[in-house]
Amino acid sequence: MNGFLTNRNKPGRKQISFYTVLFICFIVSILFVNHNYSFYDRPIAKVVQANLMEETNITDPVQNKDILYKQQLVAVLQNGEEKGQSIQLVNEYSASGAFDQEYNVGNELFVLLEKDPAGTIKSPAIILDVKRDKYVVLLAWIFIFALLIVGKRQGLFAIASFVINVLILSFALDLYVKHSAVNLLVVCGICILLFTAISLLFVSGFTEKTYAAIVATLLGTFASLAITFAIIWLTSGNGLRYEEMQFVTRPYKIVFMGGLFIGSLGAIMDVAITMSSSLFALYERNPDISFQAIKKSGREIGRDIMGTITNILFFAYISGSIPMLILFLRNASALGYTLSMNLSLEIARALAGGIGIVLTIPIGLYTTLFFIKRKKAGV
Amino acid sequence: MNTITWLGAILLLLMVLIGGKNGVRSFISLFLNFGVLFIAMFFMLSPTVNPILITFIASILIGCINLFYINEVNRKTVTAFLSTMITICILLFFIVIVSETLMIQGFGEEETEALSGLSLYIGVDFIKIGVSVIIMSTIGAVMDVAISIASSMHEMFRNNPAISKKELFASGVHIGRDILGTDTNTLFFAFFGGYLALLIWFKDLHYSFGDIINSKIFSSELALILCAGTGIALVIPITAWINVYDLFRKKKAVEQE
Repeated sequence: MNGFLTNRNKPGRKQISFYTVLFICFIVSILFVNHNYSFYDRPIAKVVQANLMEETNITDPVQNKDILYKQQLVAVLQNGEEKGQSIQLVNEYSASGAFDQEYNVGNELFVLLEKDPAGTIKSPAIILDVKRDKYVVLLAWIFIFALLIVGKRQGLFAIASFVINVLILSFALDLYVKHSAVNLLVVCGICILLFTAISLLFVSGFTEKTYAAIVATLLGTFASLAITFAIIWLTSGNGLRYEEMQFVTRPYKIVFMGGLFIGSLGAIMDVAITMSSSLFALYERNPDISFQAIKKSGREIGRDIMGTITNILFFAYISGSIPMLILFLRNASALGYTLSMNLSLEIARALAGGIGIVLTIPIGLYTTLFFIKRKKAGV
Repeated sequence: MNTITWLGAILLLLMVLIGGKNGVRSFISLFLNFGVLFIAMFFMLSPTVNPILITFIASILIGCINLFYINEVNRKTVTAFLSTMITICILLFFIVIVSETLMIQGFGEEETEALSGLSLYIGVDFIKIGVSVIIMSTIGAVMDVAISIASSMHEMFRNNPAISKKELFASGVHIGRDILGTDTNTLFFAFFGGYLALLIWFKDLHYSFGDIINSKIFSSELALILCAGTGIALVIPITAWINVYDLFRKKKAVEQE
């Protein structure tokens, strides 16, 4: 791997072939998502004509003003037996667009076709959803190129560990869904072991500092989880509004706990690897440094990163609730009710994550010290 | 005392025990950030105010809290602040285009149950609110990268004043690369954790791959992750460049005297 994606002035042969392969993948995937209609079972129609029919000003029961539009669309079917046939569609949408949207010429839609006994398609057909795949793929490529151009090797590793982690999670959830006897928390626990090892090995390779960070991450995660569990048990979950959880097909408490487990993992890893790599760097620069001095620097570093990492997690969790909060408040729900219904779980998650982050600072410090001691004794 | 108060109290205790004065500051900054988000949301309730403008102002405030209050006002934090704001501006344009083409605003059909009984025609532009959500989710990480690069580049320049522009820029980007991996990781897992229920839902209801990738809720989550990652990558060269410019301008000014 030496020199791979690192030498800026003289692109090596490996690097050129890597970028060539990547570029070919890019072209092929873009061509594919633009011509994959036949791979879908659901009929897809491409809008060729859109006319605005009606515009109505409405006021809802809580005095919100909005505008409702009705548009008539002509679309051409792109797959199935009726490929090439034109169909009529009617779309109603609002100016605010909380649940609907305007369609323009060129948009591709999944539609539901109903046929009368003679086999002709009933008009208008029903719009089910938008075909988003080609834009999703394009966005993914923008992300990949941005990470590769800026991050080079580290960017590639970040993408690789992301993809591997997604595959592991997907596989683990498949197992969980198929075998209901398996406990979700056990599944998540095993996932966490794998995620931690894979992500940290990608970040800093097979080194002592990686091992120290892996141990610290696992200890930190389980310690914070134990505390959170204990608190939820002691207060019997008072104040947590599980009703707000969406998409629940399973016992919600377990799902919440599993999410909590995985959610704070990234931040805890961040703390652990920062602690271990900076302390190992101190030791390597000056192998005679006293443990007292290392401890002192460790505390300093911990203090510096504690606030920022908690904030990253905090913003990532809380921001997602904004649309729901706005919807509730515009529907004249009481403020206290709205906040506790929509924010209690997110805040609990952010706080539990914060506890994990702060706990990992001393845990990371002492684990790294242990590994440094071991290395020193070995020398 | 309910669960959240207990968790908050424990977090405060740990922060004070481990971080001392800095810990108290970090805890207060959490509160202040929450306050800014909360007030921003209140302004967004009004149909006449543009949510993107509100997001921009909120970003400035959040930048001030996290860079100037936690650290202090100096050259490092000022350059980090500038880099963050430039990145946020570019991201704003990018995300507006992304959410308009993907049509990912508002709520997906999987959320119908939660929406029952609520009026959806509330006159607020959900595309712009969606943009705001993505920016707010990313801003913490963007600031973290900016301040880390700025402070290491200052250190580098102080220890090594003869360094060339090109070398200094390269060192900034190099530091950025190290943080890129861990910060994208932090966000990825935070989003995974938040959407564990959704993923199980997809599996339980036997969504096909095509159904998942085209669904509004999944593509909006993926767009959030991808835009956040792109933002973190984007802030690295911007911060490195601004710091090179700033440090060499200072050097020139010193030499002229």
